[in-house]
Amino acid sequence: MSNTIIRFENVTKAYDDTVVLNNVNFEIERGKFYTLLGPSGCGKTTILRLIAGFIQPTSGKVFIDDKCVNTIPAHLRPVNTVFQDYALFPHLNVFENVAFGLRIQKVKEAEVKERVANALKFVNLEEYQTREISEMSGGQRQRVAIARAIVNRPQLVLLDEPLSALDLKLRTEMQYELRELQQRLGITFVFVTHDQEEALALSDEIFVLNKGIIQQSGTPTDIYDEPINRFVADFIGESNIVDGFMLEDNLVSFANRSFECVDQGFNQNEPVEVIIRPEDLEITTAELGKITVQVDSILFRGVHYEMSCYDEFKNEWLVHSTKKVDVNSKIGLNFGPEAIHIMRLGETEAEFDKRLEAYEE
Amino acid sequence: MEQTKKWFANGYLILVFVILYAPILFLTAYSFNSGGSMVGFDGFTLEWYQELFSDTRLLIIVLNTLVIALISATIATIVGVAGAVAIHNIEKTKYRSMLLTLNNILVVSPDVIIGASFLILFTMLGISLGFFSVLLSHIAFSIPIVVIMILPKLKEMSPTLVDAAQDLGASQWQVFSKVILPYILPGVFAGFFTALTFSLDDFAVTFFVTGNGFNTLAVEVYSLARQGISLKINALSTIIFAITLALVLGYYFLSTRKKPKTLGGTD
Repeated sequence: MSNTIIRFENVTKAYDDTVVLNNVNFEIERGKFYTLLGPSGCGKTTILRLIAGFIQPTSGKVFIDDKCVNTIPAHLRPVNTVFQDYALFPHLNVFENVAFGLRIQKVKEAEVKERVANALKFVNLEEYQTREISEMSGGQRQRVAIARAIVNRPQLVLLDEPLSALDLKLRTEMQYELRELQQRLGITFVFVTHDQEEALALSDEIFVLNKGIIQQSGTPTDIYDEPINRFVADFIGESNIVDGFMLEDNLVSFANRSFECVDQGFNQNEPVEVIIRPEDLEITTAELGKITVQVDSILFRGVHYEMSCYDEFKNEWLVHSTKKVDVNSKIGLNFGPEAIHIMRLGETEAEFDKRLEAYEE
Repeated sequence: MEQTKKWFANGYLILVFVILYAPILFLTAYSFNSGGSMVGFDGFTLEWYQELFSDTRLLIIVLNTLVIALISATIATIVGVAGAVAIHNIEKTKYRSMLLTLNNILVVSPDVIIGASFLILFTMLGISLGFFSVLLSHIAFSIPIVVIMILPKLKEMSPTLVDAAQDLGASQWQVFSKVILPYILPGVFAGFFTALTFSLDDFAVTFFVTGNGFNTLAVEVYSLARQGISLKINALSTIIFAITLALVLGYYFLSTRKKPKTLGGTD
């Protein structure tokens, strides 16, 4: 059995004239937690529905376990889904909802009882077997939906924004539980969300999608620290993006000054985009800073203050700091070479990876 | 001010119901009249009821009516469920609304026209008029009603329920029998009972397509009434009214008792 469980080969999905998924290629490995991340309408749910078999690709092939499943209907695929609205059957109680898949497979009654009880135990609902769905809260329904998916022992569980209907506190709690559940079960989870924090916290691998194309894939730290383009940098966390150009390897120029950095493989004087994360900027006095800015507004965010500042070239700089400064005061910003990340304009993911490999050796 | 308004509202409501039920009550009262006509109440008697139960011909007609109603409502419900699901599943809105309109036209078109067109159809096809022709036409005019009663339930159902059932391994038939059917069951029952009542009290269509000595109650009562009124009809009407009332009350108590508990619902 190979380690790859899902493979997409040049998959395109179009409705009439609108292309929702444009020539997508990727692989998903066994036992990991994957997240498809992107704004609404980016095609992430389409990928999920293609894997589940609710829709068929317009062109290209979907493989499960190295077998092309284009012609295999949803009810014969070894995949189970947790839906955004949970899709629990209102005419069945908790036990029967979870047992639905097992009953279809004609599993023996004693085994059904045992497996349903186990699945409910996994999601901490063992006391609720005889409850009606209408008597359960949102968080509890969520757990029933998860139990209903895992009771069939699928190789892959698909989760379609399952936490979006919960309040913030419950959502954070469920994030921990989902992650732990995936690790205990050791099966592959593919999770769809538009919430970047959720994606960073949960995933082994993230696919960032926009306009039907996978923009970048990688571990949360890779994607956060080395975004491939403006969209990814903007979508994952807050970032300061300014135009600049590369003077030579390890030396970049922006805001009318040159700075040391750790990026290589560019042409001389190539125009680039420079990213510095707000939390990597350190506040000092105007004289000591590498850049001098004027504070325009300040917001208290709880853990830190968020300051919006402008330098003399009208570039906006977002700064996160626990230090409070006065509005309209002039401050200096300090940062190390590691804090600077350079993006080549219009670079594809393959080119990006190649360039990274070239100078990391 | 508020008080008088309430009195007026209640009084009005009572008046409306009295006017609506007065003819039935009038008819019921005279079914116990020993006078033999509907002019002046002479004394209490159960004579008309006795006469009714000894009239086998009339009882057979009652039985015919019930048999036609039950069979036609059952078949119409089965066909109607299939039709509603099919209409619901049509993806192109244009075709779906077209079919729905065709369905609705059948519901609103006058019985006389439906009856006449069935008569023409049956004569053309050479189907002899009698039990079978009445049954066929009752099935036909009941189907659109059943479809209309079931469609809202289907519309209300979240499409992810079907996805979820498929996802859990249910074949198309299992999706229907284990998820869709239980969900729309209230609509199916409502459709069945509506079809039943439509069939029971249909006069116009049956009047056209019956023949060969086969009669249903509505047509029979009509022809009896033309010959001169016997209080036997009053007795029969009273019994039917009592049974209907009992059924409605029974349905009411069953449906209020089975309502799901709403306390402690969400969160």
